Parts: sequence; structure tokens; C-alpha cells
Amino acid sequence: MSVHSRPRTSNPHLGAYYGIITSAFVSLILMLAMFEQLGVRQTLLAEIMLLAPLALYLLIAVGSRTLNVEDFFCSGRRVPPLFNGFVLAATAVGGVGVLAYTGTVFFLGFDALAIGLGWTAGMLIGGVLFVPYLRKAGSYTLPTFFGHRFRSRTVRMTVGVMLLPPAALLLAAEMKVAALIAVLFLPVSFSLSVIMIAVLIAITAILGGMRSVTWTGSAEFIVGAIGLVVVVTTVSIMLTNIPAPQLTYAEMLSPLHDAEITAGLTPVQPDVAASPLPAPAPTASSKPFQQSFGSLRELDFATLFLCLALGTASLPSLLTRSGVTRSISDQRRSTAWGVMLVALFVMTAPAMAAFAKLILFKGITLAPASDLPSWFTALSQQHLIQAGDANGDGAIGAQELLVPRDGIALALPAAAELPYVLSVVMAAAAIAIALSAATSHLFTLGASLAEDVYRVLDRRQTLPRLGAAWAAIAAAALAAAMFLVIADVDPLRAALTAFAFAASTFFPALLLAIWWPRCTVAGALAAMGMGFGVMVVEVVLGGGFAAGQTMPTTPVASLAGIALGLVAGVAISLYWRTSSKAELTYCEDMRNPDGEAIYDRAQQRAAAAAAGGPSAPAVPAVSAS
Amino acid sequence: MSDRPARDRHQLRTLLLAIAILSTVLLAAFLAIGAATWLNQYGFLHFPLGFYLLAQGLLIFSVVATFSFIRLQDRLDQTRSENEELG
Repeated sequence: MSVHSRPRTSNPHLGAYYGIITSAFVSLILMLAMFEQLGVRQTLLAEIMLLAPLALYLLIAVGSRTLNVEDFFCSGRRVPPLFNGFVLAATAVGGVGVLAYTGTVFFLGFDALAIGLGWTAGMLIGGVLFVPYLRKAGSYTLPTFFGHRFRSRTVRMTVGVMLLPPAALLLAAEMKVAALIAVLFLPVSFSLSVIMIAVLIAITAILGGMRSVTWTGSAEFIVGAIGLVVVVTTVSIMLTNIPAPQLTYAEMLSPLHDAEITAGLTPVQPDVAASPLPAPAPTASSKPFQQSFGSLRELDFATLFLCLALGTASLPSLLTRSGVTRSISDQRRSTAWGVMLVALFVMTAPAMAAFAKLILFKGITLAPASDLPSWFTALSQQHLIQAGDANGDGAIGAQELLVPRDGIALALPAAAELPYVLSVVMAAAAIAIALSAATSHLFTLGASLAEDVYRVLDRRQTLPRLGAAWAAIAAAALAAAMFLVIADVDPLRAALTAFAFAASTFFPALLLAIWWPRCTVAGALAAMGMGFGVMVVEVVLGGGFAAGQTMPTTPVASLAGIALGLVAGVAISLYWRTSSKAELTYCEDMRNPDGEAIYDRAQQRAAAAAAGGPSAPAVPAVSAS
Repeated sequence: MSDRPARDRHQLRTLLLAIAILSTVLLAAFLAIGAATWLNQYGFLHFPLGFYLLAQGLLIFSVVATFSFIRLQDRLDQTRSENEELG
């Protein structure tokens, strides 16, 4: 096993490389815009715009391949904070955020803001409470951290198993979003697109592990951000003459309110018996955009916000990235970049939703049913909109305009009568963010299965360390693809259930493990088991994974799981055996901001012992495996 | 009192800083949620104020809080390192 003693310096040309990638993507947009004016057919434009970036991601993955264990699991601990922030933001928001969150804001307006607010606050909570200490611990996966903290292979494997539901649900959700976009714009079936996406993300994660996840994820984030900014800013300029959509959509709220009244939308009251979250199937808008607490009661809004915040703070796919930067200080900075980038997206999504709703309502519901705008036909053919004069009154009311939730962002450029190339730019942006998030979730799942389940079960270590990780990643990608081909997954519900699982299972255990040295292995297991059990009961009673109500019971169950987990963890830690001296020393060392990561020092000591050389300075005993 | 006052002081201040930052952000969020309907009667930048706070105000506040936390925590860590070096 190789042990790093090289300095952790970042590649000084990173800025130039990603500047070139940015320029190349902008040039591609401009070139295809010119091709469109020259009469090149739309299918070819879509194929080039979607497939050329995919080839670039694959190229970056090949370029960042590695056989070094430290590079594979933590990218050599030399990722600059900004680049880690890119991948953190893409993983937190994901394609679910770009498409499903925007669609949810379209349907729920004000009430959907709880979701974006939860993501942003969650990044902050995780950055303050967990990330710096996980960086100091230096473990490659979240279950490995628990295993080292409590000197227990049992807790390591248990956490590895409990990590499966949130990571697998998020992986399935992101792959589904990417596949849906591919089906809309490329001549491929859903099954084929799922398989293609599974192969692409598996190759990326296998070739370079965390290293390729980081560098392809950074490129995907840049493509996603440019795509969103170009489209939304163009729409903002068209509607308001000002290129600041986050501010200018305020001016559209008044016309939108008028259009909603004309279309027959009236204020609604929360229906406690039904899920307020919009379904992915084409649905009519039933709530005015600005009405507060029309679908969710104030308490449900606060519960959803808190559940998502705590779920984001303890999401394994985000926390696994806690060891990739050079220092604790850099890790904090990367979280701050992540918070800022997530906040920027969350501020932009309502602008997209408000613009889309205004354009659709003004264009369709205020026009005679016999004289619908030309873009309506194009969007109808893509199944991004359905409208008909069902009641025969000569106009299309709000209840007669059906829109699929996840198609709002994709329909916006066409509805705003922008060139077709901007529709495929939006598609490329959404697919890029979805792929980045899916690769992160896949790597988290595969690395945990290999490091914390397989290596704990197979003490003879039949497979080499990287070989086990490759096999686990390939198996997880295959399983996710098969699941998606067989099952009908709603990406939004799957993602929200995953965040609820992460909050309930990991938040209390992480809080106690990091901030309370007295917490014992039994206490941590009780905290996690209690939260996990509550969520399993909720999901089973709610009708199965991602198929239940999701709202409002899932966030409540998640918060109940956190409370019960904290009580169980504290009570059992107090009344069970006390923490060992090694556990207390580990906890103490984890909170010391100076020095190398604990895991790296253990590896150096193991390597020195194997070489028969002088041992490294005394550190808490942590297994180097 | 332990024999490592610099460490104890650092851990206490770190805990207080974390509590201060998180309680401020969460309190602001819950206040904004609770008062959103009432605040919506006022306007800000053409937004209803309650809507603005939840759509943008709290997000900007979270970003500012995060960068402030980094600055303060780095200072705390620096102070501990210097104190421990001085013995």
C-alpha cells in the first residue's frame, strides 16, 4: 500500500483547464446557435449539445484515473476549496433540484420555498457541526469514521448498511432525472438511456474514484451553471430588459397575480388528507404563486424545512467529501462556497418558475382556445404541456392547462420563444448537474459497500482494496439501472425520503459522536437504530419507498426519529459502559485543529512499522484499513 | 480545570460559536416563517416582504453567517495554536 508523503499542492493549471472547458462550452452554444440560423435540423443540434459534454466528462474521467488508494478515496486531499464547493453544490441540489424543485415552485409558489431554504441551511449546519471534524478524522467514508471513533467493526458495518437507503434513493432519483431528459431530446428509449447513464457514471467512478468524481463533477457544475444562467438571464432580459432574474421576477409577480385571477386560480386551503407535493404526471396548477401557506400549513412548512436542513447536514454523499481538501480551514471554505452556490441556485429557481408560469398563463389561458401560440404545438409534441378547452367556454382555464412538474424548466426556453438551441442548453445543464450528483451518490454507495461492508465481512481480503471498490460501484450502478427500468420512481419524493432517512439516521449519531466524548458505541448504535427504525416504519406504513405520501408525515417521522435517537443515544451512553481511553483520545484529537488527519497518521505509522523504520509520533490507535 | 487551558478555552469558544451561528440562523428562519403572512403586507424590492425573506433574505443571511463563521473559527484555531506553542 502506498502512503503519501508528497506535499499536498493543487495543480497550478486547474484554473486554466476549467477556463478552457468554460470557453469550449460557451463556444459550443454560440456555434450551435449559428448552425440553427443556418437551418441545421433540431435533432442534430440536440445530439451535439447533449453528447459533446458527455464525451468531455468521459475524457476528464479517463484523464483523472488512478490506482492510488488515497487519490481514489479522497482525491489526494488537495482539492482547492472552490472546486470542492462546485461538487458539493451540485450534489446537494442535483438534477432533482434543477427540474423537480423548479416545478414544485411553479405549482406551490411560496410554499415550496421550504425545500430550497432547507438545502441552504443544511449545508451551513453540516459545515459548522460536522465537516471540520470529519476532515480532521480523515476517514474515507462516513461508516469508517464511526468505526474509528468507536473502535468497532460492528458499528462500521451497521452504518454501512444504514447508508444504503438514502444513497440508493438519491442515486435512483438523479439517474431518473438524467434519463428523462435524454428521452426528451435524444432518439433513445427510457431503458436504453438509463443503461447509458449507469455505464457513464460507473466508468467515471471506477476510473478515478473520488478524484474523477471531483474533476468531472466540477466540469459538470460549470456546464450546469452556465446553461442555467444563459437561459434564465435571456428570459429576464426579454421580459424586463434587466439581466438579473433573481431581482426582476419581483416585477412579474403582479402581472402573474392578474393572469392567475383571469385563469380562475383562487386562494386554496391546505388539505391535510392529501400530499401537497405535486405529482410528476401532467397536473393543473391550483394555487396562486404568492399565496402563503395555501398547500402547506405553517407547521408543515417549518417541519419540511427543518427535516431537509438536518438531512442535508448529515447526507453521506456530502460528508464523504469532507476529506478532500488540504486542511480543515480549506474544508470550511469549501463548505462556504457550497452554501453560496446552493443559495444562488435556490434564489434562481423561483425566478424560472415565475417566468414560466407568467408566460404559460398569458400565452395560453388568456388567449382564445382556437388561437394558441405556435410554441404550444412544439411543447405538446414533446409532452411538456397539455391543454384543451374541456368545458367548451372558448378559453383554456387554469384547470385545463396540464404541465408535468419536471418539465417546467425544460419548457421555459421554448415558451419564451427563444432559439431551440437554448432549450437544449437547459437540457444539457440539467443533465450535467444530475450526472454530477448521481456519480457522487454512486461513489458514496460503492465505497461504503466495499470499505465498510465487504472488508469487514471478508477478513481474508480476497479482493484487493480498489478491486472491491470497483466491483461494488459496478454492482450498485447495475442494481440502480435495473430498479429504474422495473419501478416507477418519482425523483422528488425519492429525494425527500432520502433526506429524511439521512436526518433521522445520522444526525443524532454524528452530533453525539463528534460533540460528546462520553458517547459510547452502544449509544451511537441506539441513536442510529432508533432513527433508522422510525423511518423504516414510516416508509413501510406510507406505502413503500418513494411511493408513499412523503408529506406531511415523512418530515414529522424524521424529526421524531432524530429526537428519539438523541434520547436513546444519551440514555444508553450514560447507563452503559464508559468510553474507553482510546475513544476519548480520538475524540480529543479530532477536535484539535492542528496536525495531519488522524487516519493519515495511522497509515504512516502502519507503513513505518511495516518497513521496520521509526514509528510516527504517538497517536490514537486507528486501524489503517 | 484541566492541565490544558488553551485546549479547554478553544473547545468552549468553538462550542459557543457553533451555538451562536446556528441558533441565529434557525431563529431567523423560524421567525420569518411564523411572521411571513403578516410581513407580506409590506413590500421590499417589489416582493412581498415575507416572500422575499424566505426566497432570498434568509439565504443571503446564511451565506454571510457561513463566511463569518469561517473567519471567527479560523481566528479561534489560530489563537489555540499560538497559545499551545507558547506552552
